[in-house]
This record gives sequence, structure tokens and C-alpha cells, in this order.
Amino acid sequence: MPTGNKHPYPLVIVMGTLLCLAALSLVQNGLSIGGHTLRRLDILADLRQPEPAADTSFVAQEITPPTDSTADSVAIAVRRDFLTYSGILDYGITAEGEGGGMQYFMQALKALRTGQRKKVRIAYFGDSMIEGDLITQDLRDSLQAYFGGEGVGYVPATSVVSGFRTSIGHTYSGNWTDYHFMNTPPSGTELGISGHVFVPSADSWVRYTPVKRERLDQFEEVSLLYGSGGRTVMVNNKPLQLGGNRKINAYSFTTDSTARALTLKFNGDEQTPFYGVCFESRNGIFLDNYSFRGISGIELARLSSGMWRQMRSVRPYDLIVLHYGANVLYRPENTKYDWYGKTMVRVVDSLHRIFPQTSILIVGTADKSYRKQGKYVTAPGVKALLKVQHRVAEKRGIAYWNLYSAMGGDGAMAKWVEGDTALANRDYTHFNFRGASKVGALLYKAIMDEYQQETF
Amino acid sequence: MPFLENLWNVLKYNEADPILFNSAFFLYFFAAFLLCYQLVRKHERGRVWVFTVFSLYFFYKACNEYVGLVILSAIVDFYLSNRIHREQREGVRKGLLWFSVLINIGMLVYFKYTNFFIGILNDLGAGRITPMHILLPIGISFYTFENLSYTIDVYRREIKPVDKFMDYLFFLSFFPKLMMGPIVRAADFIPQIRQPYVLNREDVGKGMFLILGGLFKKVVISDFVYQNFVQYIFDDPSRHTGIECLLGVYAYALVIYCDFSGYSDMAIGIARWMGFTIPPNFDKPYKSSSITEFWRRWHISLSSWLRDYVYIPLGGNRKGKLRQYINLLLTMLIGGFWHGASWNFILWGGIHGGALAVDKVWRQRMAKFAPVNKRLWKIGGILFTFHLVCFCWIFFHAASFADAWALIRQVAYDFQGNLLPEVLTAYPQVFILMGIGYLLHFLPAATEQKLEFRLARLPLWGSVAVMTVFIWFLAQVKTTVPMIPIYFQF
Repeated sequence: MPTGNKHPYPLVIVMGTLLCLAALSLVQNGLSIGGHTLRRLDILADLRQPEPAADTSFVAQEITPPTDSTADSVAIAVRRDFLTYSGILDYGITAEGEGGGMQYFMQALKALRTGQRKKVRIAYFGDSMIEGDLITQDLRDSLQAYFGGEGVGYVPATSVVSGFRTSIGHTYSGNWTDYHFMNTPPSGTELGISGHVFVPSADSWVRYTPVKRERLDQFEEVSLLYGSGGRTVMVNNKPLQLGGNRKINAYSFTTDSTARALTLKFNGDEQTPFYGVCFESRNGIFLDNYSFRGISGIELARLSSGMWRQMRSVRPYDLIVLHYGANVLYRPENTKYDWYGKTMVRVVDSLHRIFPQTSILIVGTADKSYRKQGKYVTAPGVKALLKVQHRVAEKRGIAYWNLYSAMGGDGAMAKWVEGDTALANRDYTHFNFRGASKVGALLYKAIMDEYQQETF
Repeated sequence: MPFLENLWNVLKYNEADPILFNSAFFLYFFAAFLLCYQLVRKHERGRVWVFTVFSLYFFYKACNEYVGLVILSAIVDFYLSNRIHREQREGVRKGLLWFSVLINIGMLVYFKYTNFFIGILNDLGAGRITPMHILLPIGISFYTFENLSYTIDVYRREIKPVDKFMDYLFFLSFFPKLMMGPIVRAADFIPQIRQPYVLNREDVGKGMFLILGGLFKKVVISDFVYQNFVQYIFDDPSRHTGIECLLGVYAYALVIYCDFSGYSDMAIGIARWMGFTIPPNFDKPYKSSSITEFWRRWHISLSSWLRDYVYIPLGGNRKGKLRQYINLLLTMLIGGFWHGASWNFILWGGIHGGALAVDKVWRQRMAKFAPVNKRLWKIGGILFTFHLVCFCWIFFHAASFADAWALIRQVAYDFQGNLLPEVLTAYPQVFILMGIGYLLHFLPAATEQKLEFRLARLPLWGSVAVMTVFIWFLAQVKTTVPMIPIYFQF
């Protein structure tokens, strides 16, 4: 082994490495080994002329030309670029669509405002973006502040995010059986529209407590949602006989003012399915949060139309919101979502058949970033998915709201995550409570803009 | 000239892309530096100047105009320490020392803690002060402590102050340790400036081992595991089951160790290549079988600094048992606060301080009893210490107390251990890396020495090949598309 002063070694090693890496950068070194493609290394990239950004505007131009030239308002509505417009696009007024757009909901709001109606209800379906009442609690609160109403609406019997939800206190025993989209319920036990059905065992209980917030600090009208078959349930230690042979039955009562909380105890001798509890006041607007993490919305097609119909009779809705997308964008660089569009059209069609007098609003996916070359950028799939979601709304004459654009469009998620006050999580997908609050406010504004247009 | 323009853009400070040892730019910087250093290697002054100029440029690249702070604090402390040294009157010496402490601590408090105190005032209802927009100058926590120990040592007459300003600036700005430590003592460092630049095989091999190992720990283990798992859990603990949260904490324990010690190792390795020996900063801390031992192995340069300049001046163990426990607690509270301006860090330091005090009592009580099974006892101690440290990490890393409690609540009440196989298979790379990380941590020291020895014996072209392949591998890891978090419960 040579001895002596090795002081030049670090220089030679680093220079040699640099030269080797530079040489590697000059040849195409993106190897493919066993199906796994290795990324190209380019240590000289910073010094080169920056390449023009990849063209991501491939869908931006596809604005459907007005199909019906007779109505000017139609043309205006349709000419808006669905990728950049941040208000609600209402396709209910086009000739092609027959979905009725936002008009049923707007009429219901007007009737509520003028005292012709007592209640208006919204069913807000979504994935993990809205779990724990995120987004919906803010939207509900703003709507109730304007149109009246108190209470959080539907709450399931058990929930993986009950500790996370701040709009109601919710605890339950560990011996409930929860059947849902991801496991198979036994025959005769049918999933509710939340995608869950809960079966109590002996001594199963669930307890709901109001929280110290305006409009949420006491329970007024309570509805228990349960399946067919009689049973006795202890409501705050008083027995209550529940009856009804429909797939879903509701028993409503007014809470007595002495007990703040609501505790339900089941004896479990009958395996009658239980769906959840709704909290409302005598009149006003109410919003039910139906969150189910990990789904894309097409799962709604698996619910039986009988369940939907009977749900309609116990809880009629004036607006159904479909807020999905995060789980469709599982592979960020995928841009082919035709399969998704086709299935969502079927979901919308069946909803429309069952709720012919109900407005349906598709909330287009939020921005989602992924890391590319060390930087978080909007996933190419986002715009492709928005296009498909928009097409569903347009085809079926329902309403569409582009959350991506309302957030700020391209690169918005990175800004929401990396801003001084973080509005979203480091997965560059989910909002935190601040961000969700902002989204709730944005949607409220979009709805109110529509409402004001209608009324004035 | 687009090339020159690009070059200029690369060379100047860029807020979005500050220099790090693991950034590509560092490789160019390091090569240029090594070249210049070679050219002046025979001249002590030349080496000092080249090193200092490159260090200051490194600083500029990391935090722009704040490079001025380092120069300013070097001027102040160089001057004050010399004044203290020459001054015979005890009162004046003390006054000068306090002046230096005040300036250093004042600067640190201003940059690091102003908004924290504004927040407290606002919370107490005493005011509605808008938080100020202050950026934390990189490395300020480290060079402030280096300044303090230097001036205090001069005051204590333990060392003579340096007589050349450039030597002091060189010591303070020495780029390998500038951002993340270790906290180097002037007494150990300054004499090394005078030595000729001589490297033997062992220096080259050890340096390379530390640099490559540090990069591996930082880029491959820490960054990857953090980005693809830990941050998802800590962002929103209540959305995850207890088992995921627990694994998240175990992962974070590895992440923070690999991040911090990896960076320290790179600093020590680079210094070694330049002919400077800096003592190790981490010594396999999770092998500790007691919390006292943990603090002898974790961030050694900080804990010994706190011992010499906080704990001992407070009275150490010389003023009775009770005072000793209080001193331990106070020292660790300060240590916690040093890490960052939040109650979380203070609580973190508090728990560690309390645990150190309890450990002292425990040892005195247990000294009489010989454990039945020594080996088992030790393993139990390691497991206990590891979990105690992990528990503290929850507070260290959680964004707020509420998040920390949410995580603990998930582990306590919503554990769902049956999901373990699903969690492990959902993030395979993360858990394989975690396994490797912990395995390497518990590997006997002899294995590492063997590897060092191999690297030292490599011919030059072999070293180049190892380095090239390694950096190419790092680039692959760095550019992987992050894994998307998965929910396990519905």
C-alpha cells in the first residue's frame, strides 16, 4: 500500500466523480431493469437552456360549442371555460340536459326564505376530503346562518373519525359491527346511502353530545334511522319501541331539554340494522355529510334503488352534492378517466330517476400535486379528470363547480401546503381544517352567487 | 448569453433552493473549493483565506444577507475576548463577558423567539401585536453557542484568545459544521489551523465513510421515510389508526436520528478530508439503556455544551441533591427551548430533564441491588429508554399539543394492531428502509470499522467508482415519485 501524504485524494475523488457523472449525464442513462425504469440523471441540467414546460393545456381548449343557438343565456353558460371558471356552471338550462341543474334547489331556498317551506336538505357525498365534517361543517354553518336552521344533520353510529370531528361529540361502544362498501354485509342487511350499515350486539351503545358552537350547542329534533323489524332501544335510559318494515325507517322526536346528550343503548337480541341519527331543528336548512374514505363515487351505484327511494321518503333532499376525485387520481400521471366518466353518468342517471325534483351538483376534483423533479406540481391527471367530471355534468344537465379553479388553478395545492399558514397536508391532497374552512366558504359563495342571480 | 445567465442564476442565492450537503450544487462547490485548497495547501494563511471565503460564500448561498451576521458576531466576539484577556480588573472582565453574552443571546432571542414572546403576550391579552416577519438565519443557534463558549473559556482563562481575526472568522464560519453543527469548541479547533495539511489513508477512508454514510442516512433513510410516511401521520394523527401512529413515531425516531446524525457525519467527514478532526456527535443513541446514557450518545456536542456552560455554572451537583435535580431540569428546559420557539420543545426538554433527575434517584436506590439477569435487565433498559425517547419525540415533532395528544389518543384508544400486516404491505419500501436503518444502528462497531478499512484500502479509481455509483443511486432515490398515503379503515 502506498504511504505518504494523501492530500490530493479528496480532490481527485470528487473531480473524478464529477467527471463520471457529467459523462453519464451526456448519454441517455435512463435504464430499464426488470420493468423498473431508472430515471435519467442530469447534473448539467441547471446550466442548460431551460426546456419549455410540457404542454399541459391539452384539455383547456375543449370548450363545447353551444349546441343550441337559440338561447343566448345558454351560450353564455356554456362558453365559460370550465377549467378556469370558479363559479357554478349550471347545465340545467341547456336543451341537451334534462337534469334541471340548480333550479330545484334554488326554488327550495326561495321557498324557505319566504316561509313557504320549513326545511331544505342537502346530501353531501364525498371521500376523505370531507370526513370529520370538514368543508361541510363550514358550508352548513354559513347556510344556516343565512337561511336558518340548527343541527349537524346525519351522523353515523360509529365512525373512524369520530375523534377528529368537532361539530358533534360522538363516542360509541366497541362491539358494533360495521358493514360497508369495503366488506360484504350478510344478505338481508342492506347498506344505507352513507355506504355503511351498523349492527349492534348486546349492550352496544352510542352517545352524541352537542358542542359549544353556535347552532350546534343543543339537540332539538332527533331522527333515528334504522332497518326493518321491531326492537326496543333505550333513549337516555328510557325504552322506546321502534317499528317499521321498510328498508329504512325514521323515528323522530324532540329531545327533552333536561338532558344535553343523547345516549342510545341496544340490547342486541335482534340484529336489526341501524343507520345513524339526524339532528335538526324545526325549520331551516340542513346538510348531511356522507363521507366514505377511499372511494371515487362510483360505489354509489352499488346501493339498491329501493334503499334510495325509501331514504327519499324519510329524508327528502333538494340538493345532492357529489364531491370526489382524490382517489381517482391515484396514479398522478394517468390521464385516462373515460371509465370513470361512464360509471359516474350511470350514478347520476339513477340518482336523477329517484330524485327527479332534486338538483345535483358535481364538485370537480381539488388540485392535487405530486413531486416531479424535486418540485411539487399539479398532477397531469387533475385537468383530465376535471374534464371528465365536467362532461358528466354537461351531458346530464346538472351543475358543476370547479374546486381546482376556485382554489387558484395550476399549482394551487402546492401553495396551500407550502404557504405561511398551511391550508393542506403534506400529502398534497387533503385539506387541513383551515383549508377545508376556506373551501367551505368558496362553495358557499358560489352557491350564494347563484342564489342572488336567481332572486334579483 | 443564456449559459452565463444560467450560471449566474445558479451561483447566486435562491430562496427556493438553499445549499445543502445533499444538493447537487454542493458537488460543484466542493470540487471548486478542493481545487483552490490544493493550490494553497502549503501556506497556512492561504488555507485560512480560501476556506473562509468559501465558507462565507456557502453561508451566502444558504441564507443570503444573513452572512453579515456571522461576520459581525465574529468581529464583536474577537474584540471582546481579546479585551477580556488583556483586562486585569475582575469587575470589568465580568462586565465585558456579560456584554458579550447579552449580545449573543440577544441576537438569538431576537431572530428565534420574538414571535414566540409576541404570541405569549397576545395570549395573555396584554396586547394585539402582529407577529413580525423574521426569517431565522441559518446556523445562528450553532454559532451563537460557539461564540459563547469561546468567550466564556477566555474569561475562565482556560484558553488564550486567537490573535488573528481571520482565524476566528475561519473557526466560526467553517462551512462543514455551519448549518447543523456539531458545535465545535475553539479550544479543540484553533490549534488544528496551524497544522500542515496532511492526510493518511485512514483519514481518506474515514472521511469517505462518514460522507457516504451521512448521505445514506440523510437522503435514503431520513428523507424517504419522512416524505413517504412520517409526515402523513404527523399531519393528521386522528385520521390514522393507533398502529400507524405508533409506527409513525418509531419511524420519526429513526428519521430525526438519521437526519441529524447524517448531517453531522457529513460535516465531520468533510472536515476530516480537509485535515480537521471533529469529535463524533452521535454514538448510536438508541443503544442507550438509560436516559442519562442517551444524552451521552445523542447530540454530544450540544449536551456537553449545556453541561459545561449551563449545568455546571448553575451549580451542577455541588449544591445538594435537590438543587442538582432542579439544575438538570432547568438545563434541559433551556436545551429544549434552544431547539425551537414553541411550548412543545419546552415540554420536550422538561420531560427529558425530569427523566434525567428520576434516573439519578433510581440509580442511587438501585446501586445496592444486583440485577438478577444483567443481560435481560439491559435489554429492558434499552427498550424502556427507547420508548421514553419516542414518547418525547411526539411532542418534539407534533405541530401543536393538540396534535400530540391526538396521536397519543389514537395509540391508546384506537390501536387496531390487527391491521399491522396491511400497513406493512402498504408502504413496503418505507418499512424495508426502516428495518435497514434500525439494523445498521444496532450493528456492532467492528462491522463499521471493517467497512471503513475497506474504503481506506480502495485505489483511487475504486473510490471514484464507489462515489459515482452512490451518487447516481441517491439521485434515483431523491426523484422517486412519493407514495400516496393510504387509509386502512372505512
